[in-house]
Formats: sequence, C-alpha cells, structure tokens
Amino acid sequence: MVKSLAAIAAALLILTGLAVFEHLYTRESFDAFGAELQTLYQKADAEEATESDAEAVRLAWEARKEKLHIVLPHGDVNRFDDVLSETVRLIAEREYALALPKLEVLIHLAETLPSSYAPSLANIF
Amino acid sequence: MLRTAIIYVVLLVVMRLMGKRQIGEMQPFELVITLLIAELACIPMADTSIPLLYGVVSVLAIYVLHELVTLIDLKIKPLKSVISGKPSVVINKNGIDDYQLKRNNLDVSDLIESLRAAGYFSLDCIDYALYESNGTFSALPKQDYEGMQTSLPLVIIDNGKFDQKNLALTGLEQAFFEDILQREGVKSTKKVLVLTADGTGKLYLQEKGEKFRTLRVNYPAGKTW
Repeated sequence: MVKSLAAIAAALLILTGLAVFEHLYTRESFDAFGAELQTLYQKADAEEATESDAEAVRLAWEARKEKLHIVLPHGDVNRFDDVLSETVRLIAEREYALALPKLEVLIHLAETLPSSYAPSLANIF
Repeated sequence: MLRTAIIYVVLLVVMRLMGKRQIGEMQPFELVITLLIAELACIPMADTSIPLLYGVVSVLAIYVLHELVTLIDLKIKPLKSVISGKPSVVINKNGIDDYQLKRNNLDVSDLIESLRAAGYFSLDCIDYALYESNGTFSALPKQDYEGMQTSLPLVIIDNGKFDQKNLALTGLEQAFFEDILQREGVKSTKKVLVLTADGTGKLYLQEKGEKFRTLRVNYPAGKTW
C-alpha cells in the first residue's frame, strides 16, 4: 500500500510538474515572441522595418519553435511558420501595407494560442 | 490530463451501467483501462503532428487513476460494489430471478447459454447460479444433477413468446403446450418467463414473478428427442 501511494504521489508530481512547466513555458515563449512581433509591427507601420529586422524575428522564432514542438501540436506551430515567411518576404519587398495584416495575424495567434492549452472549461470539453 | 480523467470516469460508469454482459473476466475498471490505454499510446505514435508527450501524459494519468481506483476497490468495502459491482444471483431455490437478469441486460436465453457453457443443460438441476462482478458465470448444481440431465431441454417459451424453431424441433404443436399451460392455471403465454421441454417429457415451467415447477407429460405418439 505504501509503495502504491508513493508511486501515485510520484506520478501525480510528475504530471503536475509537466502541466505547470508546459503552461509557464508556452506562455513565456509566446509573450516574448509577441513582444518581438509588436516591435516589428511598429517599425513596419512607420515603414522603417528592414529585411534584417524581419529575419531577426524569424531566427528567434526558429530557436523557440524547436522546443515548442515538444509541448504543442506541430500543426499549431507550423501556422506561425507559414505566416511569418510571407511577412518576412513582404517586408523585404517593402510591401508594408500587405505585411501589417500578416503581422496582426501573428500577434493575435501569439496572444490566443497559449490560452487554448490553459486549463479551462472550454478547453476541457 | 483532465480530459483523460473525464473519459476514464465516463467509460467506467458506462461499463457499470451496461452490466455483466459486456465484461469478460475483468473488473469494469480493468476493462476501461484496456480500452483506453491502447488508443492513448497509439494516437501520438501514429500521428506525428501530436507531440509524444501527450501520449506519455495520458498514459501516466491513466496509471494514477487506475492505482487510485484499485486502492479504493481494495480498501473501502462500500465503494467496492460501486466500482466493481456485486455478484448477481440469477437462479435461486425459486428458479430464475428475472429482475436480476434484467438488471444485467441479460435474458433467459443468455442464462441458458451460460448454463450450457458451464456444463448444465437443465434448469431444474441448478440450486444457485450467479454472474460474478467480473462477468464470469458460476453455478451450484443439485446433488445427483447428472441423473437429471438425460435429454437436451429445448426452450419452448422464452419471456412470453413461443420459440418456433425449437417447437419445430420437438415436432409438437403449439396447442399441445397451450393446453398444458391452461391445465396448470397459466392465464396467458405472456405470463410465462420460461418453459423448457426435454425429450423424456419433463417440463420446466416458470411464470413471471412465481416459483418454478417441473411437470411430467407424455408426448403424443410417443415423440421423443
């Protein structure tokens, strides 16, 4: 019985630890990514964003993405890749008017995606 | 993790509600584990778009739930019957307990099938029969029960309805049995839970909610099987 209880406690501890880690890590990653996107958005809005700015955001995303794949379904992560690639190209071409809606999509995704994995009634059911 | 827990509890409740028919030698909570664990392990394994961690977390959650339910099952007696159910005595000294059969989503033909599988062919040779909580069937036969099983009994009336196939096998008319029922004071065939007849002329009759009786009759033209 003591062995069973110890095993249950250990498993619960691992599960709770994983849940807390996933929640915090996802939130932190997307907060940082969201802040980078906001900066790029402001620069693009002022028509000051350059290809290297956009590439810097992409490189930072690529580094985060590797770890996010461990905790998030790959389809969700890949959505960022698609839109971000278009945005980088549009900024490189100085098509700011077209890049801004793409950046808004990315900012919105970065804000909302972590909450779709948070423990809430809507997500459980 | 929460989703896994919800699915587990829902499956366990459904398995308990389905009765013993759906279980085969496993306690309901063990069957639920068997149903869930294979799927949980397979989905992330086959679908590369789902992180493997999801499968690991779900399987771990199932393990915790299983250990908790097993502990409750072993240590808290009142909850044991809620989780695993209780044995159902389906045949007693009065005959077949129709209520217990219905509670477990079984009917008389299922019971007779279980009896045959256990090596008992005649209903009147059994003192007690029960379905264990894990779905297995146990029966306590009468003394010298082997001498009572000289011919294969056929179900003539099952839950108020004549079994035409078995009736044809006997080569007897429906009216022959209706006459017997009338003589025995049975008002309607619908009131008969079961009537079996063996080749030697021994009948087992039980009305719904009544004690069973056995009768001896002579078949017309010396029929036998």
